[in-house]
Amino acid sequence: MPEPVHVSPPLPALAPVSYDPELVAGLAAFLDAVEQLPLRADTILANRAHFASLVPPVEQQLGDRPIDVEHVMAPGPAGAPDIELTVLRPRSGTGSSAGTGTGTPVPGLYLIHGGGMVLGNRHFGVSDAFDLVEEHGVVAVSVEYRLAPEHPHPAPVEDCYAGLLWFAAAASRLGVDPDRIMVWGASAGGGLSAAVALLARDRRGPALAGQLLGCPMIDDRNNTVSSHQYNGIGAWDRSNNHTGWSALLGDERGRAGVSPYAAPARAIDLAGLPPAYIEVGAAEVFRDEAVDYASRLWAAGSQAELHVWAGGYHGFSTFSPDAVVSRAANAARATWLQRTLRLLR
Amino acid sequence: MPITDPAPPFDTELQATLAAMPETPPLTLSSIPAAREALAAMMPTVAEAIGDRAVSFTEVLVPGPAGQPAVAVTVLRPREAVPAAAGALVNFHGGGMMVGNRFMDTGRLVDLVLELGVVAVNVEYRLAPEHPHPAPVEDCYAALVWVAANAMQLGVDPDRIVVMGGSAGGGLSAGVALLARDRGGPALAAQLLLCPMIDNLNSTVSSRQCATGGTWTLDANLLGWQSLLGGEADSTQASIYAAPSRATDLAGLPPAFIEVGSAELFRDEDVDYASRLWAAGGQAELHVWSGGFHGFDMYAPGSALAAAALDARLSWLRRVLGA
Repeated sequence: MPEPVHVSPPLPALAPVSYDPELVAGLAAFLDAVEQLPLRADTILANRAHFASLVPPVEQQLGDRPIDVEHVMAPGPAGAPDIELTVLRPRSGTGSSAGTGTGTPVPGLYLIHGGGMVLGNRHFGVSDAFDLVEEHGVVAVSVEYRLAPEHPHPAPVEDCYAGLLWFAAAASRLGVDPDRIMVWGASAGGGLSAAVALLARDRRGPALAGQLLGCPMIDDRNNTVSSHQYNGIGAWDRSNNHTGWSALLGDERGRAGVSPYAAPARAIDLAGLPPAYIEVGAAEVFRDEAVDYASRLWAAGSQAELHVWAGGYHGFSTFSPDAVVSRAANAARATWLQRTLRLLR
Repeated sequence: MPITDPAPPFDTELQATLAAMPETPPLTLSSIPAAREALAAMMPTVAEAIGDRAVSFTEVLVPGPAGQPAVAVTVLRPREAVPAAAGALVNFHGGGMMVGNRFMDTGRLVDLVLELGVVAVNVEYRLAPEHPHPAPVEDCYAALVWVAANAMQLGVDPDRIVVMGGSAGGGLSAGVALLARDRGGPALAAQLLLCPMIDNLNSTVSSRQCATGGTWTLDANLLGWQSLLGGEADSTQASIYAAPSRATDLAGLPPAFIEVGSAELFRDEDVDYASRLWAAGGQAELHVWSGGFHGFDMYAPGSALAAAALDARLSWLRRVLGA
């Protein structure tokens, strides 16, 4: 007789942390607009096209704000195509010295968009930096990186790193202080930002002034408590996450040996990294991996600030910006930027 | 003992504050009385702390735990008329369970009373080692029961009572929230836990990384737990109402706000408590401030970090109180 196969009892359904009541409408609107078709391997391209239709070009997002936009091509990783970058600067003559190569150099923000490694473009999320450019004279650069599954790891992160090298090399021409360049991204962009910080450390690349990780996607294993609590609910659920990581890593997803530059949660050594700001909602898939990453940064003696906002869904502060909790999240981030970049008032 | 990396650095502004602080002798069992006296001598009276701000106060003796002495509380309220049913903050001071008194917190409570239009009840609980567990937490719980039972007379909305405290007071707040749940006591609207002292085991990474150098040392913490728990001080079986980290069931608790510095002893126990609240489906907001030492908001109230921490705290209080 064959040995009976031992089957573990299924995990009891884990009660999720509830949403802030003020965020419920924003989440519903987000899902209605974005998630018309569940994100699965065979719907990535359709979702990508639909998502792109929701993101206006940066020029349109800017309206008449006094910010100059320039799209530039830069060398990609060795042997790979060039990459496109968008540079945002205060409009000449608006009082900032940025871009003129004279006067006091300003901080630089290197922006990496989100979209689960499979969606999005460099115009998405870039509006988060508008106030910093306009009010503090910061120069922001947003990178167009190749997406999975057509371009699996390491294409996305190597494109992002190549763009950072361009930014650092162009710093003086852009009026940017090369010691005050920070990476900033949300979701997949948060994961790529963390990975770029690891790459910059390990390759002795540009010295980063900080890493701002918004609800970062950093753990391909998808096995935390929060990854089980948001299964079938939320703005980025367990299945979407499975789709994104599978596209990036193929069969390697979840296996031993996944690169920390793909999934920074896999990094063993978190010493010697730039100050991190990690923000995430209490009611989302990425909560526990974000908390764990912060905890391990501290354990390694690295600096990190962690904010887990009550009842926040994935991306709440962007998609429900007027809720009290979102305003608090946006204000806390601004104080960290102020403390870390020593922004001009 | 495992190899430990150095702690995250202090925030530059806080480092300067720390460097300018007078050196205090380490707290020992024999120095506890002197430390209490020194703290008491430093504290302004309630009237002094209020100054010319529009807050009134009354001192009340409320029933203590069964068979135990009465508990002294200070009730602070806005002098301007407030809604018939205001939110209430029931506050427990810090001091490692061994030292301190309620007047340490008058200042920040007056600020909150004015900012939020709430009634604050500031509780004087008995201290260890003369009064080991459960005396401190039972005194705090008795004060909460009194507030809930007298909500109407106090002008307090019984559905908007929040327990709060810093350090030992944060631990006592978490302990009171567990007691209220388990005894079917007053329904709390929320628990505000500021750098709470909740784990008697002292075995986290941060308890080793931040053992010295800040404002609260591992030695002082060990003394606090020894004073509170005696032979149970390092026991995994210690009461959950003394050391809330020992609680395995964190379901059914009121929304929590947990705030701590990244460069302090309590960092990891506080992050763990938040994580386990979420795992149980509970609501919690967690803020770990970059380079903060224990109680940075009290020692460096003018710092950018303290200002940011206070803003986040106020935002959350507004959300849970509907204020």
